[in-house]
Amino acid sequence: MAEEVKLMKGNEAIARAAIRCGADGYFGYPITPQSEIMETLMAEKPWETTGMVVLQAESEVAAINMVYGGAGCGKKVMTSSSSPGISLKLEGISYMAGAELPCLIVNVMRGGPGLGTIQPSQADYFQTVKGGGHGDYRLIALAPSSVQEMADFVSLGFDLAFKYNNPAIILADGIVGQMMEKVTLPEQKRRRTEEEIVRECPWAAVGKPKNRKPNVITSLELDPAAMEENNLRFQRKYREIEENEVRYEEFRCDDAEYLVVAFGSSARICQKAVEVAREQGIKLGLLRPITLWPFPKKAIASYIGKVKGILSVELNAGQMVEDIRLAVECQVKVEHFGRLGGIVFTPDEVLQALKEKLF
Amino acid sequence: MEINEIIKPENLVYDKPKLMNDNPMHYCPGCSHGVIHKLIAEVIEEMGMEEKTIGVSPVGCAVFAYNYLDIDWMEAAHGRAPAIATAIKRLNPGKMVFTYQGDGDLAAIGTCETIHAANRGENIVIVFVNNAIYGMTGGQMAPTTLEGMVTSTCPYGRDVALNGYPLKITDLLAKLEGTCLVTRQSVHTAAAVRKAKKMLRKAFENSMNGKGTSVVEFVSTCASGWKMSPEKANQWMEANMFPFYPLGDLKNID
Repeated sequence: MAEEVKLMKGNEAIARAAIRCGADGYFGYPITPQSEIMETLMAEKPWETTGMVVLQAESEVAAINMVYGGAGCGKKVMTSSSSPGISLKLEGISYMAGAELPCLIVNVMRGGPGLGTIQPSQADYFQTVKGGGHGDYRLIALAPSSVQEMADFVSLGFDLAFKYNNPAIILADGIVGQMMEKVTLPEQKRRRTEEEIVRECPWAAVGKPKNRKPNVITSLELDPAAMEENNLRFQRKYREIEENEVRYEEFRCDDAEYLVVAFGSSARICQKAVEVAREQGIKLGLLRPITLWPFPKKAIASYIGKVKGILSVELNAGQMVEDIRLAVECQVKVEHFGRLGGIVFTPDEVLQALKEKLF
Repeated sequence: MEINEIIKPENLVYDKPKLMNDNPMHYCPGCSHGVIHKLIAEVIEEMGMEEKTIGVSPVGCAVFAYNYLDIDWMEAAHGRAPAIATAIKRLNPGKMVFTYQGDGDLAAIGTCETIHAANRGENIVIVFVNNAIYGMTGGQMAPTTLEGMVTSTCPYGRDVALNGYPLKITDLLAKLEGTCLVTRQSVHTAAAVRKAKKMLRKAFENSMNGKGTSVVEFVSTCASGWKMSPEKANQWMEANMFPFYPLGDLKNID
């Protein structure tokens, strides 16, 4: 059979990929610029085909707690929202990290703070990779830069979430959510059976058979010694994820004298900036973190002594730039360039900033 | 006749439900929670649903409900139990799902989740323990605290000009199309316990028969929070709580 290539929005790709990868449930609340995710799911009626549950919740708070309930039963469940809605979900996200529940969250970022704007932004980097909610926890954060990656990262996000019993998040933005590109969707996978869930998620609360102890999904532990042990277990898991799951992409970096680091749609613009720079004789390369956490620290550090400067290009006031500086431990000059409030930079602006800040 | 001749299985007239384990309870003497836990355990056993029941415990005194009933549980964030139960039931229609919530959890911070789960007619049971006070945090005002009632955050008595009126959330839930059974019970006498158990059983049966949301409110005491003896607390409840929160069915659709 010929590969099925279709033209669609990034948001639609998320929805269709969720059905295809055998997700059990989606719970969401409308917010621009990601409402097409739930709209597509409702139009597709997957409950009639794969049996996937789709429910419009009364709030983002309720939606993330529905995800908690579904994940607690070992089901493959997800939610999606945009920046202000993710702020509301942080309580539930912290509880899921604390209860070690796998789930997939999608944030199609818009500009903030507050109600901000419905235009694209990358200002939720800190919120995503530095915690956001309370407590010492981490989210596995994937940053798609194409509609194809919007589709691919649904399955990848679920796989990583279930591999480590930890929430995973797709940190997209309004551009990649709204733009249309051709995409190849994955083959339809069936949903897991009850027996498979019991086998693969022995911790799940699915009703207690006589031969095992009750399964209790909770993040609560009042004994400080036990709670410290829980936290140490989380930290060991996070170190393991940092060791095994770093993903990034390099573009024309081999002979680079300067490096731009950018994720998501910013990386698409920077790719063009690299091409324009090369035409002007500037040896510029692009490093695109695909996982924002775990952050590609070692890959960036490998440019110490090789490049004259690094420009962090982000649709925010300077967030990822801090992690780049930590990665190179001040041994390379690192500057930030960004636009705010929903304004998107052009490749020429990126080059201009490079020259002004690093030459 | 020797005592050992009497202690035989055939002479047994009462036993602790098997689902209740021997963990020492953290509840205060005279608290209603223990009796309500026992009734839930009995109903689950009598329905033969031990292996198919999932409970959702709240934030509040009953946060540790999962320590006492040997079934699978999920511990919810404060007020969010009905949202969690919604997903559990939707994804597992063959399972029996209930939330166990206090007045602060259900009628203050979780009002939104409670009303919308009930309005969708989720096939779950909501067990609502209303003792008109926050027990776990040390006796603060609840949404159901009576007018004039003294708590640590209304030390001169609930003043409606300052704090608004006690919330009859159950009356509100009875008005929703999604609820099939909304009843107010108590467990302060043997007769009340028997009646309450009957309604609890009906609620759980409704949830498995796909009839919609059932809400069983237990008007309860909090001897510690009210700073009374258990006996005095029961008397105070009868004299003050029952007139404002009258017992009986608000809605019972067959």
